[in-house]
Amino acid sequence: MFHSRMSDRAMLVVSAVALALGVSVSSMATAETVTITFANWAAAEGTTKPAIDKVIADFEAAHPDIRIKSEAISFSEIARQLALRVRAGNPPDVAQLAGNDTFLIAATGKLEPLGGYLDVALKAELKPDATSGLSYQGKLIALPWTLAPAGLWYDKAILQKAGLDPEKPPRTVDELMTAMAAIRKSQPDVIALAVDTTNRPFSLQSNWPWMATFGADPLGATGRADSPQMKRYLAWMRELAQNRYIDPGRKIGEFRPLAAQDKVAFVWDQVLLQGVIQSASRMTDDDFYKRWGVTVQPAGPGGKSYSFEGGHQLVMFADSKQKKAAWMFMQYLAASPSAIRDYTLGPGASLPPLVRMPSPELAKKLDTPIYQAFTSRIIPTVTTPPYGPAFAAASSAIMAGVQQAVTGTESIDQIAGSMQQQLERR
Amino acid sequence: MMQRATVRVVRDARRVPWLDPMVLPAAGALAVVVGYPVVYTLLLSLQDYDLLGTVPERFIGAANYRKLLDDPTFWQALGNTAIYTFGSVAVAALLGLALALLTESVGGHRGRLARTLLLTPWAVPFVVVAFLFRYMYLQNGGAINAALLATGVIDAPISWLNVSSLALTAVMITNIWTMTPFFFLLLAAALAGIPNEVIESARVDRARGWSLVVQIKLPFLRNALLVSSLLMIIANFNDFAKIWAMTQGGPGYATTTLVIYVYRQAFENFAIGYASAIGVVWLLLLLAFAIAYLRALRTS
Amino acid sequence: MSSVRPRDAVRRATRAARWAAIVVALVVSLAPVYWMVATSFKTELEAARLAPTLWPHEPTLANYRGLWSGSLPFLAFFTNTLLTCLATAVAAVVVATPAAYALSRARFRLRGVIGYAMLVFRMLPLVVLLAPLYLLLLHARLLDTHTGLVVGFATFGLPFAVWMMKGFIDTVPIEIEEAARIDGYPRWQIMLKVVVPLVVPGLLTTATFVFMEAWNNLIYPLTFITTLEKQTLPAALVLAFTGQFKTDWGGMMAAATLTTLPLMIAFFAVQRSMVRGLTSGAVAGA
Repeated sequence: MFHSRMSDRAMLVVSAVALALGVSVSSMATAETVTITFANWAAAEGTTKPAIDKVIADFEAAHPDIRIKSEAISFSEIARQLALRVRAGNPPDVAQLAGNDTFLIAATGKLEPLGGYLDVALKAELKPDATSGLSYQGKLIALPWTLAPAGLWYDKAILQKAGLDPEKPPRTVDELMTAMAAIRKSQPDVIALAVDTTNRPFSLQSNWPWMATFGADPLGATGRADSPQMKRYLAWMRELAQNRYIDPGRKIGEFRPLAAQDKVAFVWDQVLLQGVIQSASRMTDDDFYKRWGVTVQPAGPGGKSYSFEGGHQLVMFADSKQKKAAWMFMQYLAASPSAIRDYTLGPGASLPPLVRMPSPELAKKLDTPIYQAFTSRIIPTVTTPPYGPAFAAASSAIMAGVQQAVTGTESIDQIAGSMQQQLERR
Repeated sequence: MMQRATVRVVRDARRVPWLDPMVLPAAGALAVVVGYPVVYTLLLSLQDYDLLGTVPERFIGAANYRKLLDDPTFWQALGNTAIYTFGSVAVAALLGLALALLTESVGGHRGRLARTLLLTPWAVPFVVVAFLFRYMYLQNGGAINAALLATGVIDAPISWLNVSSLALTAVMITNIWTMTPFFFLLLAAALAGIPNEVIESARVDRARGWSLVVQIKLPFLRNALLVSSLLMIIANFNDFAKIWAMTQGGPGYATTTLVIYVYRQAFENFAIGYASAIGVVWLLLLLAFAIAYLRALRTS
Repeated sequence: MSSVRPRDAVRRATRAARWAAIVVALVVSLAPVYWMVATSFKTELEAARLAPTLWPHEPTLANYRGLWSGSLPFLAFFTNTLLTCLATAVAAVVVATPAAYALSRARFRLRGVIGYAMLVFRMLPLVVLLAPLYLLLLHARLLDTHTGLVVGFATFGLPFAVWMMKGFIDTVPIEIEEAARIDGYPRWQIMLKVVVPLVVPGLLTTATFVFMEAWNNLIYPLTFITTLEKQTLPAALVLAFTGQFKTDWGGMMAAATLTTLPLMIAFFAVQRSMVRGLTSGAVAGA
């Protein structure tokens, strides 16, 4: 009896403890799953959707308590959408952005500064060039995800046929003009130079290095759209059109399949051109390097070469309720070996923003003539235009002027003057 | 006797209600879904409102409207809109009329087939039309230049969408291609509705060919033509997808109509106050036009 | 011995000229549609050629296969568009008909105002209404839903339907209702049982117009729908084929062909009653 009373009480205590333990154990087992919304265009485009879906699935497998809800929004709409959503109070947690859009959204003041999330290890891994251009009002507001600078691609077969040395692409604008004249003569059905002359902020971004190499700075602190340098740039664009070296009005994406058919001699395009050409023409890597090379921009009267960074960044919104999980996802996308292998170097056809590759296998993938040219020679020439809301607003005035120079008949002075007037009116 | 009638009329007049219950669902729904945004737009037009929120919004009264008057791009857009709208509608109406008259006397299966096939352009969604014609208008590689070069009409490719003097015309051609079947359908139906006796008596009077058309048939078509034109003019003012997908309002501002300009102001400059002001002016212009038009229609 | 009279020769010549003109019109009307379909069967490279080919030299079904089994849910786009446009058309006609009947028959003070308001709402710049409408849908939690999209479509569909139905109802002589009115039937029943059966072609015409306008709308789905699986065809065309990487003309034309086909079928199916409706209806007298 004594025994049973003791065991009764013991039983009571034991069961109470067991109950308490059991409750806490079960609450640990059913830790809340957190859902992160990720606004992006990678999932909206056929080329990249399978890859980004896989990366997300891999992340979810590695982190069972985090779910990613991918919101597919088109590249041309995402800035507008995010601006509306920020205003309306329902932004996503994480978003993919690029170029001027990143700074447009930063201007709303609703982006979470990321400096505090970068730990020492990651800070050492990231290329300083990659993060230096991503500050707004002194704070880092975006994590670089992919690097995709632009260079001058050249089709060696076309150069050879025109009697030019396929291993010595033009280094100055004058040499470029001579080369294009030769190409036009020998192969009149080839487009000599592919540049984007549509009227969108992206084309201003893409043409900014050309304006810079002529010494023009239409939006700078002391810059003017009617400066002699800008007029010289506009006159050069007109010369390109009059000699039929360019095909005006085409988006850069519309030139890429033509390049795959050897119908374009020089392409001013980002590192991802290789991926598009190879997927369209089914060329092997070796054949591609035999056919295509890339070099820095031919220098203009200013004497310096420039490039622009067309890669993608990741931002986190200040209103997010799960910042820690969002950061883990962002870090995974940018720096994890599997994401780099499956997305960045895969269909993304871009460079990771890391100083060193996290594995020898990935380091080997980067050891190609094209990637080397970008990493060692082109990336150092990247210049950042004055991104921001003013850039977007000004881009339609400036690109309209460029279009008028290219296809219109008014004098360059007139065009530059009216451009400056419009910029002043803002 | 007379007095009682007067009293009855007066009493009836006092009992005329303000609203009819049958109208309530529609009117109510629209008051919320349209009325609220319209009022909001009016209020926005009086403010300096940055959609990005970089500067706090403030009330500036009629400043947006003053800015509009001095804005050369606004006037250019207005001009482009007038040319695009009235030009396309006029040509489409004429072509539709011509087609209706041409196919009127063709009967039987062949006639029915021809009439059905001629309606095809209207069944193609606008977004598709825009991309399709953009593809066809490409300077190098577009079907239109290829066809013109092959038949020897031109000897160098024309840059349809990238030369300021041509771009508006090119876009209008696309618009006319889409719109003509609408007029064709309407006018063919109206033609079919002309009572036979009228035609017969005209024939007896030896009216033939051209005079038959002008003096007898056209008056019957007048109403249909004018009302459908008004419908199409209103629809064309809102035509965004076609122009945007083809030229984004370029080159320069050659194809920028009011709709494109408003979109750029609202969603690229994020100046939604200014965009709203343009929208209000647009609405007032269209309203004035429609009222004048309908009044002219009614009095004749 | 030729017995051809000059008048016969003239008549034959005019008939030949008339047919020639019709053939030219047919070619102009159909050539772009042919081009769209032909391109949809071309490979990516052939579709992008600088010297286009008149018909596909290497015909392929790859573009269509890509739509069906590709990474983008094309079938979902299609059903989304179909459902939202049908819902808009039906809702518009159902709500508009009583209103149109009242505007046509009843006497009430706000009659003129409401009638003109319908016309005015037709003229509204949709682009400008975008931001306030977005906020409205947000507060009602209807963003990124098909219901919200139908509400957006209704902003232009409903006024249009009221205006058109009023025109059709106006052409029904009021005497037809006299008998039923004298017998004391309530107005709803008179409308449903006497008037509506007489304007069925008008109903179909109005529904078709509203359907087509909703189908054609690009800007609302682009702004209000953010989940790709819920997107409609016009927006999907823009998203899917003019991405950052390249413009896939072949794929776009395949999607375009499939987008056009149902509209064309619907259009031709109701075409005959549309003609009947239009002759007796709105455009005969405003």
